Amino acid sequence: MTAVEANISRSMPTRVWRRIARYLTLELFLGIVSIGTIAVLWEFANPLGIPVLSNLPPLSEIVRTSQQLLTSDLYWDGWLLSIRRITSGFLLAQLIGVPIGLLMALHRASFEAAFPIVEILRPIPPVAWIPISILFWPTRELSVIFIVFLGAFWIVLLNTIGGASNVDPNYRRAALSLGSTPRDMFWRIILPATIPSIVTGMAVGMGIAWEMVVAAEMVAGRTGLGYLLWQSLEINAIAQCIICMISIGIAGFLSSEIIRLFGSFVAPWQRMH
Amino acid sequence: MNGAVAAGALSIRHAGKVYDPEGLNVVALDGVSFDIRSAEFCVVVGPSGCGKTTLLNSIAGFDQLTFGEIYLDGAVLARPNKPPLPGADRIVVFQQGALFPWKTVLWNVSCGPIQQGKANRAAAERQARNLLSRVGLKGIENQYPGSLSGGTKRRVEIVRALMNEPKILLLDEPFRALDALTKSVVQEFLLELYDEIPKTIFFITHDIEEAIFLGDRVVVMTTRPGRVLRTIDVGIDRPRDYRVLTSERFLKLEREVRESIHDEARKAFEAGERELA
Amino acid sequence: MAQVIAPVPTAEIALRSTAPWIIRARRLLRSSRPYYAALGLCMFFGAWFLLVDVFKVWRFRELPGLVPSVKEWLSPDPVYGVSIFTAEYYSHIWASVYRVYSAFISATILGIAIGVLMGWSRVFRGLTFPILEMLRPIPILAWIPLAILLVPGREAPIIGLTFLAAFFVTILNTLLGVRSIDEVYFRAARSLGFSNTAILFHVIVPGALPYIFIGLQIAMGACWFSLVAAEIVSGQAGLGYKVWETYYYVQYETMVIIMATLGLLGYLSSALVRFVGKRLMRWRVRLLAGV
Repeated sequence: MTAVEANISRSMPTRVWRRIARYLTLELFLGIVSIGTIAVLWEFANPLGIPVLSNLPPLSEIVRTSQQLLTSDLYWDGWLLSIRRITSGFLLAQLIGVPIGLLMALHRASFEAAFPIVEILRPIPPVAWIPISILFWPTRELSVIFIVFLGAFWIVLLNTIGGASNVDPNYRRAALSLGSTPRDMFWRIILPATIPSIVTGMAVGMGIAWEMVVAAEMVAGRTGLGYLLWQSLEINAIAQCIICMISIGIAGFLSSEIIRLFGSFVAPWQRMH
Repeated sequence: MNGAVAAGALSIRHAGKVYDPEGLNVVALDGVSFDIRSAEFCVVVGPSGCGKTTLLNSIAGFDQLTFGEIYLDGAVLARPNKPPLPGADRIVVFQQGALFPWKTVLWNVSCGPIQQGKANRAAAERQARNLLSRVGLKGIENQYPGSLSGGTKRRVEIVRALMNEPKILLLDEPFRALDALTKSVVQEFLLELYDEIPKTIFFITHDIEEAIFLGDRVVVMTTRPGRVLRTIDVGIDRPRDYRVLTSERFLKLEREVRESIHDEARKAFEAGERELA
Repeated sequence: MAQVIAPVPTAEIALRSTAPWIIRARRLLRSSRPYYAALGLCMFFGAWFLLVDVFKVWRFRELPGLVPSVKEWLSPDPVYGVSIFTAEYYSHIWASVYRVYSAFISATILGIAIGVLMGWSRVFRGLTFPILEMLRPIPILAWIPLAILLVPGREAPIIGLTFLAAFFVTILNTLLGVRSIDEVYFRAARSLGFSNTAILFHVIVPGALPYIFIGLQIAMGACWFSLVAAEIVSGQAGLGYKVWETYYYVQYETMVIIMATLGLLGYLSSALVRFVGKRLMRWRVRLLAGV
């Protein structure tokens, strides 16, 4: 038995332990250390006189306030309403943005015609569109959804155009040599190849959508998580403010993850990261 | 340049490397032993998974041995618990090319001595220009690697390596990505350099013709776990040119190596082997 | 019929005698591009004009018209006091530009520094990455109330918010950039005897630069985006604030002017970042062109 073979014969428990040990990495340890330190410093910021954190209410108070908030109807209604607005605006952005993006990517003339308009309108922050939105749309709800739509639309458009234009020409050539018609080419080659980019656009667009909802509900809403956030500013309730921020952050994170899950389901050949 | 007789003599003793991805022991190298004399051109040839890259990495200082030792000029270079240390005395020419794309050719070639503190900018650049024009690469000093052809990039990288006066020059399948015609031109380039500036060379490849054409000695390795199958002395006089490729001795050697290696190649193919690291 | 054969210049002479931009301009004009662009723009402005100015269809009658807005913008004596000839216009522009650029530059410097550190040191990354990932999902605009409640002063919360927006994006993209550098360059550098500082300056920063600049373009957009929101809430000068003021005082034509100005400034800022990037990464332009 060579030295190598001696090395190889390990017992079963050792192998299992090694697999577990792989997860107990340095990263996990450091992560716990840093988050734990911040939590501790936050809680005792006031007596310790730490500059920024002492202006905040201590962690325990925030936990207490969250107990109040999380049991109130207002809070969960806020979730529902904000989510509804996000979903409408977001779906609209997909339904309008993806076809236009595909058209622009595949039809040279439409791209040349539309591109300057896109480049002019896109840099205008959606927040600046809020007054026009209010003026134009008959209801407040519609004006909020429009802002959400606008924010997500540009991202979806750009990602779709990028994805469809960058389909590897070799795929097209392979399809042509296998005898595909233009309809085949579109539905079977270009569209599936663009899906990863569309999904990326969706995930990023979802993040933007939450930004928009916050902005729009600030101005035009009287309900929703964003509105709760702004209300906390008016009534000077820092704890509520922080809880709303965290809630919106969690909501945004969850929705992005759902999109990525959907993406890996629709395009299993591509690993999303 | 160092005129000592024993400069660049490598001694590999039972070198072994065991990787442990996901709890399965993968033996990349299993007790490899051979010597390389000073200024000898040694080529290691073998199928995928034979551990030749692992061996090169251990010599170069990018990887650690699990068992065995490697000696350079009598001093211990690599050993199980010795942390790996790369250095300009064992400089590497990489397979995928490692010229810094964001620096000019001149900067690339002259950076070694400057960074090691052995020469100031002016002297190093002068020497670099000299060396480049000596080997027929004049005029590209201010270009970026991105605008050079594959063959030129390889030549520049070899020049960069030589600028550092290494004890051993390590080449990791450097011509793999070149087309056959460019490859033979760059091979001749390397041989001319070797004739002019003899150095110990450790060259790894999977190409049998290349191995015999370039080397003084060919070490044939098995597929995973990697062991030395046999060592062959090439014995063809230098300087060599492409006519060597059709000489009797060459064809005889090629047949020998191919017979030894063909079974290993088939085993590697069936096992779906790929090179690690 | 006598045929005069003019001397045909060789390609080389032709190239040397005309500047590259002239060649590009000529090629552009000969292609179909500018004509479709003009068509698209005409369709857009035409639709605006017809729907709002002329026919006043449905809700479009509530919107400011194209002609009055343009007239206001270019008028030496504007009805609401803001046009390219008034000082007030430029004071708002300056207020916003100053905030955006000071936030952007500080976020760039700090963001790249921290991003490089995170890419370089596993320990540092392990400590900071969890915090970053927890803070990142929170929309930038959601920070506004907190900023206002906690940070004293008027300029500070606005600049701070704009800074935050650019900061996260820059760190993330710098980190991605550093991680994207092929291992082989680090190995080559070590073999060549580079010190840690040398690796930092000659391998890490140049290697990560492409990703960093993509991040910087996004960061610039994020800066304008958060600036406008912050100004609406708590400003007293600046373009975002002015948008709100014009809405409040029913000066809709001026609102259009401000929106257009925002668009223009945003576009120019991104173009500026792209331009600087191209200069710093000339080696890349060659590489892409060489393909």
